[in-house]
Amino acid sequence: MSSGMRATGTRDTVVAEPKASRAPVPVWLFFLLFVLLFWAMYEFDRRGGWFHSQVYTPYRSLAELQRYQPATGGISLERGKVVYETVCALCHNTDGSGKPNQAPPLSGADWVVGSPDRLIRIPLAGLTGPIEVKGQTWNLAMPAMGAALSDDDLAAVLTYMRSAWGNQAEAITPDQVAAVRAALAGRMQPYTAAELQAIP
Amino acid sequence: MSSKSAFQTATGDSLPADISCRWPLFVLLSGAVFWLLAGSILTLIGTIKFHAPDFLAEPAWLTYGRVRPAGLNAMIYGFCLPSALGLTLWLLARLGRTTLAGAIPVVFGGLLWHLGVGAGVVGVLSGDATGFEHLEFPSYAVAMIAASYLVLGVAGVLTFRQRAERGLFVTQWFLLAAIFWFPWIYSTATILTSVYPVRGMAQAVVGWWFSANLILVWFGLVGLGIVFYLLPRLLDRELESHYLAMFVFWMLILFGTWTGIPKTAPVPAWIPMMSKVTTVLAGLALLGAALILHRTLGADYRLLSTDPSLMFAGFAVASFVIAGFMGIAEVLSGASSMLHLSWYATARSWLQLYGFFAMALFAGIYYVWPQLTGRPFPLPRLVRLHFWLAASGVMLAVIPLAVGGIVQDGNHANPEMAFVDVAKGTLTFLRISSIGDVLTLAGHFLLALNVLLAIGAFCWDRVRIALRTATIELQEQGVNS
Amino acid sequence: MNYGPLVFLAAFAALAASWFGFVLTPHLQIGHLQQTNTVPSGVSYPVARSGLAQQGLQVYRANGCAYCHSQQVAQTGTLFDLVLTNPGTNQASTVAAIQSINPRLSQPEVLEIIGKVPVHLLTMVSKSTAEAAAKTVNATGANAVPWIVPIGPDIQRGWGSRRTVAEDFLFDYPVLPGSQRIGPDLSNVGVRQPDPGWHLRHLYAPASVVPGSTMPPYPFLFEKKKVGRVPSPSALPLSGIATVEDGYEVIPKPEALALAEYLVSLQAYAPLFNAPLSVALGKPTSPTETNSISISGGDKAPSDISMP
Repeated sequence: MSSGMRATGTRDTVVAEPKASRAPVPVWLFFLLFVLLFWAMYEFDRRGGWFHSQVYTPYRSLAELQRYQPATGGISLERGKVVYETVCALCHNTDGSGKPNQAPPLSGADWVVGSPDRLIRIPLAGLTGPIEVKGQTWNLAMPAMGAALSDDDLAAVLTYMRSAWGNQAEAITPDQVAAVRAALAGRMQPYTAAELQAIP
Repeated sequence: MSSKSAFQTATGDSLPADISCRWPLFVLLSGAVFWLLAGSILTLIGTIKFHAPDFLAEPAWLTYGRVRPAGLNAMIYGFCLPSALGLTLWLLARLGRTTLAGAIPVVFGGLLWHLGVGAGVVGVLSGDATGFEHLEFPSYAVAMIAASYLVLGVAGVLTFRQRAERGLFVTQWFLLAAIFWFPWIYSTATILTSVYPVRGMAQAVVGWWFSANLILVWFGLVGLGIVFYLLPRLLDRELESHYLAMFVFWMLILFGTWTGIPKTAPVPAWIPMMSKVTTVLAGLALLGAALILHRTLGADYRLLSTDPSLMFAGFAVASFVIAGFMGIAEVLSGASSMLHLSWYATARSWLQLYGFFAMALFAGIYYVWPQLTGRPFPLPRLVRLHFWLAASGVMLAVIPLAVGGIVQDGNHANPEMAFVDVAKGTLTFLRISSIGDVLTLAGHFLLALNVLLAIGAFCWDRVRIALRTATIELQEQGVNS
Repeated sequence: MNYGPLVFLAAFAALAASWFGFVLTPHLQIGHLQQTNTVPSGVSYPVARSGLAQQGLQVYRANGCAYCHSQQVAQTGTLFDLVLTNPGTNQASTVAAIQSINPRLSQPEVLEIIGKVPVHLLTMVSKSTAEAAAKTVNATGANAVPWIVPIGPDIQRGWGSRRTVAEDFLFDYPVLPGSQRIGPDLSNVGVRQPDPGWHLRHLYAPASVVPGSTMPPYPFLFEKKKVGRVPSPSALPLSGIATVEDGYEVIPKPEALALAEYLVSLQAYAPLFNAPLSVALGKPTSPTETNSISISGGDKAPSDISMP
């Protein structure tokens, strides 16, 4: 009752605001603090990725993440599409339909879905003179657009052409491209249609 | 034992601190009680949609994704913050043996705050929510709230500076840190999510950081500050102890401030990992708070029932500890557990927000209000009834949700179970928990009734005194003439 | 002695530390992310969402979709499949090697599957097992590669093929990763349901397309009106429990169209350096396809992974 009594009446002078005792913090709390701090550091060290911006759970370190990357050097249609759209689409159109007086169509063209060895040679060395594509004769010149591409990228873009827009033909591998590149042995002269026909 | 404090203390004479705080706190607290009602009604509308998805589906402003944030923000910014700030100002004045600095600006600041909350709630309902949790209010509402905080915060600091009592009680540490921390987190979060938004996922990290700092750290500082004042005050004994309270303080601001980033957050591993270990470390603050309650009571928990404010305060500390350990269980649950995305997380944050913070605020309001008016609440029985409604309401809301969340998480981990069935499996729990929501709402009506009657009685007193004075003067004039 | 100012300074430092750690540092790391490239294809990622989808994000924000739907796919680990890409020419020893790494396969089964490369010889094994098995098979002149398979309950549920990373949200404002799964995760809802029309019907009457759905309907995103002289071409094709009375039709408002476009644009499955996975040549592995890989062992038909 005392607090109630004190709080009434003469509060102006006597009001006693609360006080806190000076009893110390129990030692076991500090002990627990150190144990938990140790655990926290251990846990953070183990799975925290050490502040690296690329390391996300469940990967624990950059080194581990790097070991989990997919094998490179393969070909991929996504990559092929990118290469196609930057290198080829300007003339052959994004849908492979070609452009009048610029470049023949690629969709449904026998040259594209046919012999890989012929197809690989066209971007590597270029093509000139009359050529029949889907029953129409074109007489233009194509520079060696693919000579500067890597084997992977050229294989990717050719595979893309052979699978996009209704085309269905087996993939072209970087090994095949490398073999043809070696066989060309630095040939700079564009092919003609007749020359290509001679290749199996 | 009879009630010691709130109903017997005040019978007229009030301290200068109380008198200076009177109108500022009337504005802050009665506005807060209004938003408490509005917020819990909006929340209840949201809850009913789990019973009947088609309920109130047509008006866009009553869709679940709007009423829920509107209700929660009305609760946080409408009820929790203004009443916390009001109680903070009163405590700083009382503990400093001084008066509230800038009482009149604080009255207007309080009005502006509640107007800002009104604008914010209307904004959220009309589709202007920012999308960041606990920061949903659109910029026009934030501007009003921030301007108002400037007044309230400066008043708090000035009140502290002009204190006559130089020795510091632990509560002052907690409250000063809170006064200082809120503008920091609120301005940082608002600027980086809304004014000059940072890029991509960094926005969400700032949002999570703000939420944790508001709900765990800020609520923790103010709520414990209030409880650590009320315990010794109402028990008429010393708080056990100063050092233990400072230990809690340090654990909260050293570790609590790093919590809150969920483990599935699309951010580099170190960020959620840091939150995980600090959540566990902040558990020391929970142990500390529990020890303080236990030792101050001298292990005699029946003492709590001597005063409704003590009952609220004791419940608040228990909720704080349980909610904290629920958080620790959440971060330590296995890698494939998604408890933090289940109803369990909702239960935990509701226990922290309502079971702890709102209950601590009720304790404060029920104690402080009679000090201001100089008379007890008109309907003292309703205070105890409010406690029982609130306590059972919280438990009925939190326990089913937590259990439902654990069931949900277990079902979710089984990919054979269709998601629709996972969702349906939680409905029973949700429905039980809405009974809890109804009980808490009923409690809010009791609080509102008491506050309304108390203001009425206070004003009537003033009128009566004024009339009597006037009559006496008239009589004296009559005699003189 | 007065420790007051000292303690105050220490408290300030403690609070400031969290600001530096959780506001400034993430901003420097994540806030300065740039478009990245997929691995190994090298395609730019992410591309900005279309204008309509960006408007849809605002509808998503305004109506609080994120209170029920998360956009964060969790990944609890990474396992490997072993994929045979080329059976080589030495058939007898290749078959023997395959049987040695996966004894559950009978000889006729092996003969059958090596005709259909690429084919999964092992599923859900550890990295070291997959690499050792690859070595065994490749020693016979065949070519088998370890195939990265992210795992976790979300991924098995078909919600994504890998974890969600910060890059997935690079151009979004606001970023809404959500905090609840009252509804399913939407990180890849555009892969699961690529048809905006499905989303429109779902928004108008959820239970009519997802039986038992607990999602509330969003009729305010649509306009119900009398059919004019000719039915509107944009009217929703409603059926089942969602039909309206005769002579009326339901037209999506612009908000609904934008929201559907945004939902379709939610496709976060590109293989990235920080979230590696192997994808089939030619077509990106959609989450549902990943889901179809069984954990039972190596006897799985290679239905979904094939050269174009």
